[in-house]
Amino acid sequence: MSSRRSRITEEEINELISKLQSILPETRRRGTSRASASKLLKETCNYIKSLHREVDDLSDRLSDLLATMDTNSPHAEIVRSLLRS
Amino acid sequence: MLLGLQLAGVSSKGMTIQERKSAVKLSADVAMAGARGSTNWTRALIANLSKQERNKAILRCILGKDYEKLTKPCQYHSWKNPRSKQILRRSVIRVCSRKRNVLRAPATSVLAKVLVKKRTQVLKSLLPGGESLYGFYLLDETLDYVISLRVQVDLMQRLLKASETSNLG
Repeated sequence: MSSRRSRITEEEINELISKLQSILPETRRRGTSRASASKLLKETCNYIKSLHREVDDLSDRLSDLLATMDTNSPHAEIVRSLLRS
Repeated sequence: MLLGLQLAGVSSKGMTIQERKSAVKLSADVAMAGARGSTNWTRALIANLSKQERNKAILRCILGKDYEKLTKPCQYHSWKNPRSKQILRRSVIRVCSRKRNVLRAPATSVLAKVLVKKRTQVLKSLLPGGESLYGFYLLDETLDYVISLRVQVDLMQRLLKASETSNLG
């Protein structure tokens, strides 16, 4: 995404907006033609916040689990190989 | 990401819960940024993490050559287009009112502008490196960041699941 353009076209902006709408769970459900700028921003912020919370929660659970796991054990080997596939 | 976990010594008994959790998060974030490559938000993320001296060594170890690449100052947004924000706002409003064809009362549009401004500020505070971006670039980075966050969540869920089942077995 580093090609130099002298202007951003409206087409590009519309494409970006529809891509964003298609990822956000709420706007995807309600259909794409109704989001206003402020709603889109609100949905996006809420979604990012909920993803942050999820990462936080998963970090908690992972760290609890890892507390009991020895990284040289066969369990760790299994996990490593699963991640590689 | 596993390398990060190992380096941070996550399984050592001497760690407090907070320390371990921070280590897990650090690994996850570094993995996410490293996998994505060079974008405004990944560089900002790495820069933030590097502010703590003890993280720097771990970061260097995990990222290797990429660490230098991601911390070098970059000219990516040297030609920021200040007009893009207005173009963006105008086209978003146009996109949604095209179907409705309603004349907006002046008060409504003032309120809309205020809301957009306020929410843009919130978005900027959520996105690493977002403070210096606006308009098209802000949304572009946001899209990229959201996609990467989803991948991060997915990865962590799989790791968790795999660890849970292997612990039982």
